[in-house]
This record gives sequence, structure tokens and C-alpha cells, in this order.
Amino acid sequence: MQLSGDVVRLRGVRKEFDQGRVVALDSVDLDIHAGELTVLIGLSGSGKSTLLRHLNKLHVPTTGTVEVLGQPVADLSGANLRALRRDVGFIFQQFNIVGRLSCLENVLSGALGRLRGPRYGVLSYPKSMRREALELLDRVGLGDRAFQRSDTLSGGQQQRVAIARTVMQKPKLVLADEPVASLDPEISGQVMDLLFRICTEENLSVICSLHQVDLALGWAKRLVGLRDGQVVLDKPAEGLSTEDVMAVYKRLDPTGTKQNEYEPAMAARGS
Amino acid sequence: MTLTEKPQGPRTSTIPPEMRSGSLRPPLPWRRKVLLVIAAVYAVAVVWAIGRTGLSITALFEGYGDFRRLLDRMLPIEFRNLSQIIRLAFETFFMAFIGTAVAVVISVPLAFFAARNTTPSVFLSGPARGFIVAMRAIPDLIFALIFVRAIGIGVLAGILAIGLSAIGMVAKLYADAIEQIDEGPREAILATGASQVRAILTGVIPQVLPSFIGIALFRLDINFRTSTILGYVGAGGIGTLLQLYLSGLQYRKALGVVAVIVVLVLAVEFISAAIRKGILGADPHSHKRLSHRIAGLFPGGKGRGNVAAQAEAASRASFNRETLRPPWTRDRRRMAIFGWGSLAVLVYAFWSTRLSPVRLFTSFGEIFVVATRLVPRDLSWLSSVVVRGMVETFAIAIAATTIGLLISFPLAFLCARNVAPARWVYYFGRSLLVMNRALPDLIIAVLFVSAVGLGPFPGVMALSIGTVGFATKLLADSIEEVSQGPRDAVTAAGTTRLQEAFTGVSPQAMPAFVSTALYIVDINIRSSTILGIVGAGGIGFSLIQATRTLNWELVGGILILVFAMVYSIERLSGWVRKQLL
Repeated sequence: MQLSGDVVRLRGVRKEFDQGRVVALDSVDLDIHAGELTVLIGLSGSGKSTLLRHLNKLHVPTTGTVEVLGQPVADLSGANLRALRRDVGFIFQQFNIVGRLSCLENVLSGALGRLRGPRYGVLSYPKSMRREALELLDRVGLGDRAFQRSDTLSGGQQQRVAIARTVMQKPKLVLADEPVASLDPEISGQVMDLLFRICTEENLSVICSLHQVDLALGWAKRLVGLRDGQVVLDKPAEGLSTEDVMAVYKRLDPTGTKQNEYEPAMAARGS
Repeated sequence: MTLTEKPQGPRTSTIPPEMRSGSLRPPLPWRRKVLLVIAAVYAVAVVWAIGRTGLSITALFEGYGDFRRLLDRMLPIEFRNLSQIIRLAFETFFMAFIGTAVAVVISVPLAFFAARNTTPSVFLSGPARGFIVAMRAIPDLIFALIFVRAIGIGVLAGILAIGLSAIGMVAKLYADAIEQIDEGPREAILATGASQVRAILTGVIPQVLPSFIGIALFRLDINFRTSTILGYVGAGGIGTLLQLYLSGLQYRKALGVVAVIVVLVLAVEFISAAIRKGILGADPHSHKRLSHRIAGLFPGGKGRGNVAAQAEAASRASFNRETLRPPWTRDRRRMAIFGWGSLAVLVYAFWSTRLSPVRLFTSFGEIFVVATRLVPRDLSWLSSVVVRGMVETFAIAIAATTIGLLISFPLAFLCARNVAPARWVYYFGRSLLVMNRALPDLIIAVLFVSAVGLGPFPGVMALSIGTVGFATKLLADSIEEVSQGPRDAVTAAGTTRLQEAFTGVSPQAMPAFVSTALYIVDINIRSSTILGIVGAGGIGFSLIQATRTLNWELVGGILILVFAMVYSIERLSGWVRKQLL
């Protein structure tokens, strides 16, 4: 199904953590168009991760509506939520691959949502899927590491496994949360090339948060800048200068600290 | 910046040729093959053990009927002689308290001898470690059996049994704590020209004190639990009453005693947890693995905020500028109350149990004499009865471990805060576990023996139930420590809860699962040796007969067999653990 129009529609989204002591997102309105490659930029703690995590209901907005692929995300639950998550791939800064599993099993875990019936992904996967996963591993250049334990890989390789896992999902929309923030510049460039090339080949919509302005300007069709949970920049990448983008990064508070993204999530789940 | 415009050459496949076709199964190195063989042998052993212990579906149903009849005879519960029950309950607590004190007093020097960084000589650390291991291998009830015969019926035998067997754990954890210290302060004190002993007193003791206290309080919990059953073999405390009522078939009164025991065990656990929290600032309800809980007591681990708050309080508190005594901050007051309070309880415990510290001291001489008599001179004690007893013990342990773990694994996912499908499931499960653990294994065994009669069957049932309580807690704790990131990633792929539990949680918790399972095997081998003392099958029956007839060589011989079995299982499980992690 080729989507036309908007894949993501945010209206007045506000997110508070710690009973309102921290406002991570503040009245965000944002539309993302199908097939577009959008890059989110902003300081650490400006709300990029929080925004992305709203799009597959890893977070629920305090107020406002989030629509993804035409569905109100916050209202989804059970099988409907799982169906949406299958269509939305997520790539994490910390790779979040399951370290003790082999690379192949990690890629296969992306297909869990597709499994039906007796093959529940609990003990085994069908042969065709294993083949598919191996070919995806090959596509990210790790075909020879299929049965290596994934925690023995380098950071860049781990993120490539994570990319393969996401593509294994056959998503329509890919969310990437600072996918290269823990990698060195050279590896960052390679991984981003890989990610964007695959997404372009598969004609996927991508929202990616990034700190590398050069990479952002090189690949993105559209740049969205966040500051203190608010959208302060939203323009096509073409014609934007590095200075325009750097303005988003101007530090008002030189001691800005990043929140642990899991602490508020745990708190939110606990309540 | 042209990173993004790098030309892409023709890509070559990275898939190795042998994987271009075929079923894509993971390779099977020899270690995995050996493990598979062990697993197969284990599976066969389980089938054999279940047959050997007379466990079957029909037996379960019959047992259920028997248990219903026992419950009928037990209900309504009866609290006759409540004052006597309460007096004995206090006696039990004092036994546990003095026993813990004995263990701590012996463990502290022993730990300094055993710890690699403080031992005066390797010739001392080796024997110290050996002694600790030996104390850990022999179950407390076996100690109690021997001491009751050696120095007479009464609390002294119980105290010594508790004290000596507690050394196995307390001294080991103390030595671990000493080995984990920061060496800096000690070096600094040595650099001022102080002696080794002085450096340990000033540079090491303050570092390990919080963990020493935490471990002692934790052991007090365990000791109280075990001391409730010691009276069953005549070593004083509330178990005496349990034995009296059960042998007199007065089941209603017996259940009354059991109820009191459960309430008391829970009370002591909560009080000890509260004290640990009050003194050490460690949260007793932080559901962490035991090792972490104890590790969390180390200075510098947790409670940094606590230290800061303490410093602030100290700077604010006024103190006498002339005497320069430290000010009475809240922490210092708490510590002082705890210290003097413990001493007061100890003195009162001696007075209340009419035990003179001198008698306690001289009894060690008597133990030594018995210990020399335990050494068998030849193999005449080795009979087919003993061999059969050992085989049965092994069968009980294997069967109970397997049944218990099969129930524990799914249950643990429901009792883990971060995986449980709903809050109430988690709280419900956790409260069940606390209740389960409040009931010592042997008391469950006593009840089962009363219900279905003598033999290994009640032993397996009791041990399985005990395993569920303990293993589920450990497993659930390790599930709670799984990191959230990979779980989010798996969830983001649109998986169901069950799929996520298998793919996101289980692989991460696998090392802890393996360790726990093997640890449970260890513990159950140990516990199953004493089940026979209450008639629940295994070698314990021969053991109690041997002590009754004062056949010390047989007792010693059985102890050697028990030690050999425990030790070899420990080594085997250690190897398996290493291969799996």
C-alpha cells in the first residue's frame, strides 16, 4: 500500500514527566508527508527522542493527538497497536539489540509481529524467514556474521544489525532516534549512508533525529528544529545554510543535561 | 563534507558460500554437544528420580485426599497454652540471635584470614577457606542432631548448630566484602608507618562495616527461620512444641504453632529489613537480586545522596568545641541505638535462656572431642542402607528441583514488576511468595509426612513447594534487572507480550536463570539430606538412627558422603555455568 498525504499528524502534543515538573514537549504541531526524509535537530533534551517515542506509543501524550498512518496512536491497544508498530520501524541510539542472541536471531526478531499460528517466534522461525534475514544481513554487509553473538560486534556493526532488524519488519515509516550519536564520525557517515540508502530504495518515510548537521543537510528533504519541546524550525533542506541550522543549537544554558530516556518512561509506566 | 556522496562500487555478497543454501541452523560446537549430552542425562535422571520417589499423577491425587483429611483434623486451629508458645517463640528468637552473634564473632577473624588481600599468609587463607566451605556444606539440622547427642538436649545445641552453619555463609560474604574494598585508605595509613593490624582497623573496618552489619542482619532472618525447626530434634525453641503435638497426633495445636511461626518469621523479616534500611539506607523493598542487595550495601555503591545529606547534617549540628566529640547527627544516634540495643538484646538473650557465656565457650571443647570421634577408621559403616539412602536423597533433590523450577519459570514472569501483565498480578504474586518463604521447608515436610505418611514422596512435595517460593523470587528479581532498551526495540516491532518475553527478556536474563537454577540444585541436594530426619525420605533417616545409637563413625561417614555429593554437584554446576554464560 503506497500512502499519499501525511504519515504523521501531531496536533497540540504536550508531554509532561514527573507530574508536570518536566515538560518535554510543548504544543507541537507537525505533519510528515509520505515518502519524505525528515531530520529532527535540536539540543540534547530538546524533546527529539520524546517526540519519536510518541509515534509508536512508547510514550503517551499528556494532552494533544498523535496520528500515525491515519490512526490515533494513543487510543490503540492490543492487536491494533501491534499492527501499527509493525508498520513503524524504530532505530535506537543505543542500538538496543539483544546482546546474547546471534545477529541472525536479532534480525529475525523484527519479523515477530508478522508470525502467525503455531510458529509463534518462541522457539523457531520458518526457513524462508531465516533466508530473508540472512539476505538483509548481507545487505548491511554482515552476511558472514550471522551466527556470531551480537554483543561481540562493534558499535557500528550493531547498529547495522538494528537497521536490518527494522527492515525485516517491512515498515512503512522508519523512526531513527540519534542512530549514530554513539559512533565516531567515519562510522557515523557509513551507517547513515546505509540507513538512508535502504530507506530510499524501499521508498520508506523516515524521521530521523541527528546531531550531524552536514549529514542532515546532505540527505534530508526537510529539517525540523526543536528547542525546549517546541518546533522552532521547519523548512525544506534545500537552500538552508549551515548557519541557519546551527542557530537551533545555540545554547542558552551552557550546562544543559540530557535526561535518561528510560527513567521517565519507567515512571510513566508505573503510574 | 562529502561523506554522503561517496561513490558506491559494485557490492559483493558477504554471505559465506556454505550458507548460500541449506536450512540456516546455527553451528554446533563441541561444548554445545557436551551440554546437550548433560541435558539428556539430566532428563533421564529426572524420569528415573520421579519413578524412584514414587511420584505419579495418581499419587498426587491420593496425596491430595490425604491432605484434605489432615486439614480436617487440623481445623479449626487451636491456640492452647498461648503463653507457653510465646515463651518458646522468644526462646527461638534468642537462640537465633545468640547463634548469629557466635557466627559473626567467629566469622570476622576467619574472613580476614580468608580474604586474599588481608590474609597474613597463604598457609592460613587455605585452611580458613576450607573450613568455611565445610561449614556451608553441612546442613544446620545435622549439626543440631550431633550437638544434641554430644552436649545434651536444649538451647545450647541449637545455638551452636545455628552459629556454626551460619559461618559458612557469613564468613564467605565477609571475605568477599573485604576483597572488594578500596585499597587506597589502607595504603595511606601504612604509609604513615602504622602496623598491618592498625591499618586494617583504621583503613579496612570502616569500609566493610556497613556490609558486615547488613549481612549479619540478613543472616539473622535466615537463622530465625531455621531455628523454628531445630526443636524438632531437641535443640530448643518452638520446634519442641511442634514435635510434641505432632507425635501426640494433636494436629489442631500443631497448626496453631505453625501459624505462630509464620507470623513470627514474617515479623522478624520486616523488622530486620526496616533496621537495615534505617541504618544502612538500603531500601529493603528494592527488589534486587540477593547478591546485588548485599553489594548495594557497600559504601560508595548506593546512598551517595545519603552521604551528602549526612555531611550536611554534620556541618549544621552543633558540637562541643572543647571536647571535640563528633556531633550527634541522626545517623550517629541511629547507629548508637542499634549498637547498644543489639548488645542489650544479646545480654538479655543469655539471661533469658539461662545460658552462661562460659558454658558456651567450654562447649566448643566438647564439640572438638565429638568431631574427632566422627572420623571413621575404616569402611565398616558403609552398608547398602546408607547407599540406598544417598541414592534416594539424590533422587528427591533432582525430582523436587525439576518440578519446582518448571513451576517457577512461568511464575517468575508474573512476579516481575517490569513484565507482569498488571500491577495487581505482581503484588498478588509477590505476597504469595513471601508467605511461601515464611514457612520453612522442613515444616512443610513435617506436615506432608503427617498427611501421607513416611517416605520420599512427602519429601519431594515439600521440597518442590520450597523451591517454588525461593526460585521464583530469585528469577523474578533477575528479570527485573533486564535492561529496557532491547525490550523496547522488540516491542516496537509489534510483538505480543509473550513474544517479547521470549525474545526481549529471556535472552538477557539467561545468565541469571542458569545461575539460579544451578544454585537451586545445590541447595536442594543439601536440604534433601535432612528431610529424612522428619521421615520424608533420603539419607537423613539413617543419620538420625546413627545419632540415636551414638554410632559416631556412621555419622561421620554419612557426613563425608554428603560433603562429597554436595561438592561434586557444585563443581559440575560450576562447569556448566561457565559453558553457558
